[in-house]
Amino acid sequence: MLTFWDSFEWGIWFGGHLLYSCGGVYRLASRDHAEGWLGTVSCEERALGRRRFWEEFQSEPMRAKLEGMLGLRGLAPVAEGTFRLRRCDLRNQAGKIVCRLEWTAVCAGAKGEEQLLHSCRVLPLLGYEAEAARVAQYLSGQGASAPEDEPVRVLLRRAGRLPREYTLRPAFGLEMETPAREAVGRIVRKMLEIAQGNMPGILDDLDSEFLHDYRICLRKMRSVLSLVKEVYPAEGTRRMRDALGDLARQTNRLRDLDVYLLARGHYLGLLPPALRPALDEMFRDFSAEREKEVRRTASKLRGASNRRLFLELTEFFAKQTPHGPAPAADLPVGPLVYRAIYKRYRKIRSIAAGIGEDTPDETVHQLRIEGKKLRYLMEFFVELLPDKEGGAMQKVLRRLQGRLGDFNDASVQQKSLLDYWRRKRSGSELGLGLGGLVSILYQNQMQARSLIARELEGFCDPSTAAAFKRIFKLPASAPATDGQRTGRP
Amino acid sequence: MKILSCYSIKGGVGKTALAVNLAFALGEAGHRTLLLDLDPQGAASFYFRVDGADKFRMRDKQSLAEGLRRNIRESDYPGLDVVPSHLGYRHFDILLDGMSKRRSQLRRVLEEFKADYDVILIDCPPNITLLSENVFRASDAILVPVIPTVLSRRTLEQLAGFFKDQDLPAKLLRPFFSMVQKRSKMHREIMEELPAEQAGFLKTAIPFSADVEKMGLHRMPLLAYARACEAAKAYRALCQEILSESGL
Ligand SMILES: Nc1ncnc2c1ncn2[C@@H]1O[C@H](COP(=O)(O)OP(=O)(O)O)[C@@H](O)[C@H]1O
Ligand SMILES: [Mg+2]
Repeated sequence: MLTFWDSFEWGIWFGGHLLYSCGGVYRLASRDHAEGWLGTVSCEERALGRRRFWEEFQSEPMRAKLEGMLGLRGLAPVAEGTFRLRRCDLRNQAGKIVCRLEWTAVCAGAKGEEQLLHSCRVLPLLGYEAEAARVAQYLSGQGASAPEDEPVRVLLRRAGRLPREYTLRPAFGLEMETPAREAVGRIVRKMLEIAQGNMPGILDDLDSEFLHDYRICLRKMRSVLSLVKEVYPAEGTRRMRDALGDLARQTNRLRDLDVYLLARGHYLGLLPPALRPALDEMFRDFSAEREKEVRRTASKLRGASNRRLFLELTEFFAKQTPHGPAPAADLPVGPLVYRAIYKRYRKIRSIAAGIGEDTPDETVHQLRIEGKKLRYLMEFFVELLPDKEGGAMQKVLRRLQGRLGDFNDASVQQKSLLDYWRRKRSGSELGLGLGGLVSILYQNQMQARSLIARELEGFCDPSTAAAFKRIFKLPASAPATDGQRTGRP
Repeated sequence: MKILSCYSIKGGVGKTALAVNLAFALGEAGHRTLLLDLDPQGAASFYFRVDGADKFRMRDKQSLAEGLRRNIRESDYPGLDVVPSHLGYRHFDILLDGMSKRRSQLRRVLEEFKADYDVILIDCPPNITLLSENVFRASDAILVPVIPTVLSRRTLEQLAGFFKDQDLPAKLLRPFFSMVQKRSKMHREIMEELPAEQAGFLKTAIPFSADVEKMGLHRMPLLAYARACEAAKAYRALCQEILSESGL
C-alpha cells in the first residue's frame, strides 16, 4: 500500500517528482518513468512518524530536493493505492532478450480490492525497436489499448485530487473594452474562489501559507473595490469592503504569530550565540498562544456569522445579481485602469521627492501603501498592459516594494517585540535577548531605508517617468475623465 | 571515455573470453560500456546472442560512425551494449588507409561515442593488419592475454618488436597471464620470469577453468552464470585492476 504525498500547490508533482511512503519509508522519485510507473527513486528515508515539512527529513539530498519543491508548504496525503508490478523478458530464437514487458496493476482500497487499471508497457531494447513494435502491434491486436492515463494519475483522479496549477495571480480574461463592473466582478469572484479554496488548509492547520494566501485574497478583493471606483452602488461597495475587512481582521493575530515563528531561525541568527537561549521563553509563549489562536480562528471561520459574510459576498458579486446604476459601471475598464495607474505613479513620485534622511517613518509607510496599490493595479490588469514595458515596470516596482517591505517589517517587528516585553516584564535574561534583537532590527530598518532611496532613484528617474507617461497618460478626449469622477462620453 | 582493446598475435589465448567478461564486469560496476566486436569470426557477438551487424557503407569517417551507431545492440545485461561483428570490417583496412596517412582515424571515429559511453572495449582478430595498427593507436591500453608457455614468450616479444618498429608507445601494452594452470611447473616458472623481462604486466591472472569453456554452451558471459567461481572472481579482480590503473 502506497501513500502519495504532496503540497497544496502540488510542488512535488510540478517539480517533476512523486513522493510516496510505504511501510515507514518515504521515497522521492523523479516522474520520468524510466524505471516504471513509479519513476526513478532518487532518495529514500526511513521515518517513524509522519513528516510534514522538508525540515523534518533527515538526509541531506532529501532535504535539499524537498526544500526546493515545498518551501514553507506542508505535505498531505493525496492518494493511496497498491501497485503490483511484474516484468518479463521476451527473447528471440537465439535466446537474446529483444523486448521487455512491464505489467502494472493499480488498485485502490486498503487491501487493493478495487482494480483501477491494468496496463502493460512495452520497453524496447536499443537496436531491437522493430521487435518491440511487433509486440505492441500484437498486443493491440489482442484488444489492448494505449492507456489514457498513467497509473498514478488514475489513482489521483479516483481520489478526486488531480494536480492543478495554483496561483494568486490568475488570468481574468480581461480586455480594454470589458465593462468595469464586469471586470471587477470577475476579479472578485476569482479571488473569492481562491480564498475559499484555502479555507480547509487553515482549518486543518497544515501549513502557514493557507492563511497567508487567504489574507492576500481578502486584501486584493478589498483593494480592487477602491482602485476601480464606483462600479457598484456606493452603499453596497462600502458594505462589502467592511465585510472583507472584518474577515481579515479575525486572522490578524494568527498571522502575526506565524510570522514570528517562521522568523525564529532568522532572529536567532541575528543574535550572538550567548544571547540566543534568552529568546526561548518568547518562542515558547508564541507557540502556546498560537495553539490557542489556531483553534479560536478555526471556530470563527466555521462559525455562522462568517458563513453569512461569505454568502453575502458571493451573492453580491454573482454575475446575475442585479445592482443599481453606478457612474463607472459600464465604462470600458482599460482607460479607467490606465488613469488609475498613472495617478498612482505620480503620487508615488511626489511622495518620493520629499524623502530624505529625516523624513518621518510615517511617510515611508505611506509610500509603501501607495506602492502596493500600484502593484495590485498592475497585477490585476496585467493583461491590459503592453507586454514588454509592463513586465519591466513590474520588476522595478517589485524591487522597490521589496525594500519598503524590509523597512516596514523591521519597524513593525520592533514595535511588537517591545509590546511583548512590556506586557511580559519577566526575567532580565529575556530582556537582554529582546534588547539585542530590537537594536539589530532597528539597524536593519535604517539600512533598508538607505536602500529605498537608491531604488526610488530608479523608479522615479526621467526615463521611467517618461515611459509611464507615454503608456498610461491618455489623451483628454478619452471616454472617462478621472478615476474619481466619471461621466459618460 | 577510455578505449581498451583485447589483442594478441595468437588465437585461442583468451582474448574474447576477456572481452566478454570484462565488458560485463564494467557494465555491472556502473560504467556505460560498448563492446565492439571487430573479429569477423564474431565469437563475442555469439556469446551475447546478437546477430551479425547489418551491412553499411564505410566510405568515410562520418558514414563509419553512423553505421556503427546504427548497429548498436542493447545486451541483456545492465550498462552494456554491443556492436556485433561484421565481415565488412575487413574493409576497414582499406577504408582507414584511404582516409589519411595518419593511423589514429579509428580513435576519431570512436570519439563520436564519447557522450554515450565511459568505456569502449574492442575484441580484435589475431593478426597484425592496418586495422590492428589503427586499434593500437586508438587505444588507451592494449590488454594482451599470455598463456605462460615458451611459445607465448616469443609472440609477446614479437609484438613488442612490432611496437618498437612502428614507433608505437610500448607502455600501451598490458599483458596478463591467461589460462594459468597452477599445477604446471612450467607455468609457474614462466610467471616468475616473464614480468621481469616485459614491462607492464597486470598483477591479476586468469586461471584455467572448465567453467570458462562452458561459455559456448551457455552463450553468456561466465560472470552471468557462475559468478562465484574462481575464474569469475579473477575477471572481476582484473576489471578492478584495470579500472584503477586507467583512472576511471
Ligand atoms: N581461462 C580459461 N580457462 C579455460 N578455457 C578458456 C579460458 N579462457 C578461454 N578459454 C577457452 O579457450 C578457447 C579460446 O578462447 P578465446 O577467448 O576465444 O580466445 P581468443 O579470443 O584469443 O581466440 C575458448 O573455447 C574458450 O572457452
Ligand atoms: Mg577471439
